Amino acid sequence: MNTKLVISKISKIYPGCIANDKVSLEFGSGKIYALLGENGAGKSTLVKILSGVVKPDEGEVFLNNENIKLNSPLDAKKNNIGMVFQHFNLFETLSVFENLSIDSSKKNEELRLLVNDILKKYNFKIDLDIPVLNLSAGQKQKVEIIRCLIRNPKVLIMDEPTSVLTEQETEDLFVSLKKFSKEGILIIYITHKLKEVLSLCDEVAVMRKGKVVSVSNTKEEKIESLANKMVGENLGTIKKKINNFKNSVEILKISNLNFRSDDPYETNLINLNFSLKKGECLGIAGISGNGQSELFQILSGEIITENTSIMFRQKEISKLNPRERREYLMAFSPEDRISQAAVPELKIYENVALNNFKSSNFFEKGLVNEKKIKEHSKKILSNFSVNTDNVELKSQFLSGGNLQKLIIGRELITSPELLVCFNPTWGLDVGAINYIHETLININEQGKSSIVISTDNDELLRLSDRICVIYKGKLSKIMDASTVTPEKLGVLMGGGSID
Amino acid sequence: MEGLLIKVEKRNDVSTSIYFLTPVLAIFLTLIGGAIIFYVLGFNPIEALKFFFVTPISDLYGLSELLVKATPLCLIAIGLSFCFKSNNWNIGAEGQLIFGGIVGGGVALLFYGHDGFYVLPIIILSGAIGGMIFAMIPAILKTYFNTNEILVSLMLVYVAKLLLDYLVVGPWSNPEGFNFPETRQFSESARMPILFDGLRIHAGIFITLATVFLSWLILYKTYLGFQIKVSGLSLKTAKYAGYKGKTMIIIVFIISGACAGLAGVGEITGPIGQLHRNISPDYGFTAIIVAFLGRLNPVGIIFASLVVALTYLGAETAQIFLQVPKYTGQVFQGMILFFLLGSDYLLFFKIKFLGLRKNEL
Repeated sequence: MNTKLVISKISKIYPGCIANDKVSLEFGSGKIYALLGENGAGKSTLVKILSGVVKPDEGEVFLNNENIKLNSPLDAKKNNIGMVFQHFNLFETLSVFENLSIDSSKKNEELRLLVNDILKKYNFKIDLDIPVLNLSAGQKQKVEIIRCLIRNPKVLIMDEPTSVLTEQETEDLFVSLKKFSKEGILIIYITHKLKEVLSLCDEVAVMRKGKVVSVSNTKEEKIESLANKMVGENLGTIKKKINNFKNSVEILKISNLNFRSDDPYETNLINLNFSLKKGECLGIAGISGNGQSELFQILSGEIITENTSIMFRQKEISKLNPRERREYLMAFSPEDRISQAAVPELKIYENVALNNFKSSNFFEKGLVNEKKIKEHSKKILSNFSVNTDNVELKSQFLSGGNLQKLIIGRELITSPELLVCFNPTWGLDVGAINYIHETLININEQGKSSIVISTDNDELLRLSDRICVIYKGKLSKIMDASTVTPEKLGVLMGGGSID
Repeated sequence: MEGLLIKVEKRNDVSTSIYFLTPVLAIFLTLIGGAIIFYVLGFNPIEALKFFFVTPISDLYGLSELLVKATPLCLIAIGLSFCFKSNNWNIGAEGQLIFGGIVGGGVALLFYGHDGFYVLPIIILSGAIGGMIFAMIPAILKTYFNTNEILVSLMLVYVAKLLLDYLVVGPWSNPEGFNFPETRQFSESARMPILFDGLRIHAGIFITLATVFLSWLILYKTYLGFQIKVSGLSLKTAKYAGYKGKTMIIIVFIISGACAGLAGVGEITGPIGQLHRNISPDYGFTAIIVAFLGRLNPVGIIFASLVVALTYLGAETAQIFLQVPKYTGQVFQGMILFFLLGSDYLLFFKIKFLGLRKNEL
């Protein structure tokens, strides 16, 4: 079965931005293609066009020399184009089999036979009759893949598939994808992780600002060359100075941190103990949903727990709320920058006023001191190179990177002794990621401490002095970052143990 | 199987001017809806609408009545805007109004026969405190026991009504009142000063205007107002910023209850002059419509209260001239809310028709 997919001069224009500018690409079965680009490069738009979610303004798609019209996701399915999205479309409370049978026209018995064949063929180990909520992210993704395989796809599009997987699960996924490819399924793999492109894919198309800037064989590429093509500039490699913290003062000591939640969707935290020295960065790795969000909220004071001791600069702060903790020079950058760290409907200067201190004088005698807040905001915008100087702009009009710079800037401009951040560069482009990383390294060099909770291991290896892994609400032992490898982290993140 | 595919999408860019113009559109649509109803009932729609919306305010007395009705509506709606802006759904302003009336009325009866400039301020203050206390019940239950404030505040309306009923029939009923369910007429010192001879418009309007100004100040110029705004937009952010959520719930309920209590005491010391069973024609409920029609904005609420007050007056004239029940007024109030919510939905979401398509999967 030979499949040939040709995209010819596809353009899609949104108000104020050209998402795809005459994109032409050719794909043939037997190979795995990477579609690489920063956020906003136009990858997602192109994929949405291929899966029928978005209609292009111009251009055509040919499948085996036949001009196909993709007006809806149904059209994509009819043409045997399968798609696995980054966010799963599964009903958590239904069983695996029920999820598969929902959009299948086959009879249940017939479908079960087919699914069992697929499971056997690709060595997937999934119990078809347990609710999806009991599955790990990797297993859920397999269910999505099976859903595509049921339809005998000619083309399989994977959108950022490894963002929620462990190292082990990622390897399993790659094995399966290679198998599919051998069987003649054309695979298009969308990512911004350069390593994956090199280890998995045969050809790579790099997109930038809506255009395809390069198509090449991955054998001819290196991480640096691909990164340069992606951002169009030479990426300075950021290196952290190795520090010795033996003689540093201990700034934070957490003992006996336990958290039990009544909400089944929250994770209980079990006996966490750790400490942090002045100028040190502690990285906490783990796959999302292992207690990171609860840990962050306990550190920020959004959740107050009984019997936990949090000593910060020799003061017990475990019962203080976030505003009170800020008075003691702590700062927080939560994961959800769009609806928690900032309010999209508020203007930039109003979002700045969210981080309010007694000494900031934003609100004197209970009255808003707009002038003061605006001056302060202007300072943040220029010091942290946010791409606007208009403090009256509603923050919903800032791009992800600029919004995150604003938030980090807001938290750091008060020179806190400790910054706690959770996935600080989630979903940002390389330029913004580098900026944030440099900033975080800088504060350590100035003797300020940080805790980075992140699901991105590269980020942690780049920023941390010590690293540990959170798994099912428990913390692994804390390791020196220089002794940690991605493989070790992967084992711990999957619940394994290392010596 | 065939089905009409409809997709609802959120709009990102809603302009401020259109946001404040949709209430005007809603009123316009209400007029059209009203015209159709009158036409179906066999009236000349233009004539009927004229009786409803023009005749009542074509003389000074009518204008004064308009302000008499708008005064409590505006006051309550202003109070409610504090609750609604911060995501607290106080539906029981009617109960807070009645309880404020009870407390204020009780104090007025206590001062029966007293003269002195201090009598009225004490009564007004006690009315406000009454409303406050009554509003604190749902607030405290919500903060400490996680109850739903919509249910609690609504149910408390009936508690207040029954309490008033008991008082005017029983212990507080007028000893010379031939067992009518009402109290004595308050002394002159306990009455709101009338502004013009022969008209009912009273000094309560100044309380309302002062409250509007004060609310604007609090909502837009103070830290408390900022916290209310943030909590209304995102509770997660309010928590992250470290705002004391519980304290704020209690504060907004207190403000809202105080306003409703003031409205109640303004009614009984103003146009009514005593306590009886029906001291409010559901002002507390209608004020919810006023608050939303005015976009929870102090100035907007002034205009909205005038419009909605007109439906009260219009219903009375329509009853006299067209012999339709006075509940027509509520029909109009309902239509205003209906059209407002409808146009808001279309303002914030767009609906796409994707045409007919076979559901073959």
